[in-house]
Amino acid sequence: MEAIHLFSLASRRSEWLSVRQATIAENVANVDTPDYRAKDVQPFREVMDHTRLQMAATSPSHLERDGRARQTRTDKADSWTITHSGNSVSIEQELMKSSSAAREHSLSTSIVKSFHRMLMTTVKG
Amino acid sequence: MMDPLAAISRIAGSGLQTQSKRLQIISENLANAESTGSTPGADPFRRKTISFKSEMDRLVGAELVGIRNVGTDRSPFRIEHDPGHPAADENGNVKKPNVNMLMEMADLREANRSYEANLQIVKKARSMVNATIDLLRN
Repeated sequence: MEAIHLFSLASRRSEWLSVRQATIAENVANVDTPDYRAKDVQPFREVMDHTRLQMAATSPSHLERDGRARQTRTDKADSWTITHSGNSVSIEQELMKSSSAAREHSLSTSIVKSFHRMLMTTVKG
Repeated sequence: MMDPLAAISRIAGSGLQTQSKRLQIISENLANAESTGSTPGADPFRRKTISFKSEMDRLVGAELVGIRNVGTDRSPFRIEHDPGHPAADENGNVKKPNVNMLMEMADLREANRSYEANLQIVKKARSMVNATIDLLRN
């Protein structure tokens, strides 16, 4: 049953995208905060590679939750603009990232939906 | 730690709140651009300033934006010669507020732009929630 992996993959992807959207929201909220550095999450591929080698933990607070993307600070080269107050958030860049996250989320939910329809067709005959 | 999509409305909400506070300060400055003192030689309205800071919210698990302080601009007042004014000193000079209309309007535009960016984020998050809910409708 290869197919069932698709649902877990799609839900991981959706979770990653919502963490990314929350990070973008943080950046936009802090667009006028002095010395604030823009943040982004680890790429999805890295999250997938990373979670395959999870260590055992004695307490859930020791390690991050499984599949949770870690936030990283963007360096100067990634950001489109840096203001005089030391803030590296560009509204245009953040809104484009936000649109692409929403688009990818809609793609992943559409795939789940059509896959679900296929499964239902198989069940119903 | 909240669900990220639920946290977005809190994060963007903090942005909306601080930006609207900033708009309030700007409107105060603009409204009082000509407010002088009432006694001879008295100080007029002093321009207000606002600064932001980011603060970690443990419940949301994200850095929300807040107001660091609302201060006053220490720059000198404009001096105008108007001997008939009730606030004129013995030389006939009146102190006018240190509000620069052009600067306030530029600040107003910037605050408005940031406010709208936060609104856009709320809209995008809502479309993501709707897409997830739509999985149940078939």
